[in-house]
Amino acid sequence: MSEKDLRRLVIKAFHMDRVMEGEENRITPDGLMTINKGCAAKMIEAEPLIENVGIRVIPPGGHDCWTNTIMDIIPVSTKVLGKLGEGITHTLTGVYVVLTGVDTEGKQTHEFGSSEGVLRDKLYLNRAGTPSGEDYIISFDVTLKAGMGQERPGPMAAHRACDRFIQIFREQLKKMKGNLCTERHEYHDVVREGGKKVVIIKQVAGQGAMYDTWLFPKEPSGVEGGHSIIDMKNMPLVLTPNEYRDGMIRSMQ
Amino acid sequence: MGIGPSTKETTLHHFRDPLLDVVASDEDIDLLGVIIVGTPDDNEEKMLVGTRAAVMAECMRADGAILSSDGWGNSDVDFANTCEQLGIRGIPVTGLKFSGVNGGFVVQNNYLSGIKDTNKSEEGIETCVVGENNITELDARKVTAMLKLKMRQHERKDV
Repeated sequence: MSEKDLRRLVIKAFHMDRVMEGEENRITPDGLMTINKGCAAKMIEAEPLIENVGIRVIPPGGHDCWTNTIMDIIPVSTKVLGKLGEGITHTLTGVYVVLTGVDTEGKQTHEFGSSEGVLRDKLYLNRAGTPSGEDYIISFDVTLKAGMGQERPGPMAAHRACDRFIQIFREQLKKMKGNLCTERHEYHDVVREGGKKVVIIKQVAGQGAMYDTWLFPKEPSGVEGGHSIIDMKNMPLVLTPNEYRDGMIRSMQ
Repeated sequence: MGIGPSTKETTLHHFRDPLLDVVASDEDIDLLGVIIVGTPDDNEEKMLVGTRAAVMAECMRADGAILSSDGWGNSDVDFANTCEQLGIRGIPVTGLKFSGVNGGFVVQNNYLSGIKDTNKSEEGIETCVVGENNITELDARKVTAMLKLKMRQHERKDV
């Protein structure tokens, strides 16, 4: 069977093995990440619907703590060369951002079924979409203004604020020297002449505030620049395999 | 988190989706692309978007399709319709969806034989534990193998 190569995507991973609170938001190629909790106020300056945000580092095994309902789990990835689906992407491993939400009246940001409680009991580790037992978690816990926990603009503001926070690290990750990466993965969109032609159809959330999916962000797995599938009337659209694996979808739930 | 925390696909899940990895690396398969389709509230709209997804697959000249669902409940209506619309266009379909004991299909049709339950919990319920009932690599391998079988059977029928 002959193969025609359409395009190449290279994802370079930089592993963080020490994540701690510090005076600045910083990542270094030797695997140290520091988080400045005090930056939270700045992240929500332009978000009138957010009361406050708490940022904390949860180390591996430190899951005996309270969590508000989990809205999303997000990798820190950034485009270094090209657009989503081609070129070079840098991503962090060993650490993932967990966005949680509640409003000042205690109403959890969820739709049907919520996941607040002791983190250990509410997060199943080692899935494709969840951290492993060895990973650090950066908890980005948003408290929305009263009554905004389940109205569409509230959760959207939470996602935007979290994206702003992640962008701080994306800007540094962009500048990391590629040859210092800890893993390198190469993906090709190919035509396999003579192979069975198969399409994957992903049915995604598209019904409301906590059941939404965004596409086409500027940065991998990002918010800024994205479009809600609800605003696109939930109509089907096609992504190349590489666009999909390069973070063209953001789960806005 | 949306309808069913244990089945919801996080942004991280999309970034390293096992279904894409398995299908894209199968050398017998020419992966055409990934269709993303939403799940509207209104019933008529549900029928519309799922039908458009099936039309899209037909126009791409797909020999087969794998459908996966994020969440469960009323989105089963979308799921079952999309399977049916693919089926009546002669496109074999397999898929992944949470059923367990309380999330079985709320509607039925003749094209759901290749749908695998993604439940992993002992009780077979929506546990509200994030990630627990998510799609895994093993699920992806099963539906890919099932689709290959269905496509072969379909080919024989055509001869």
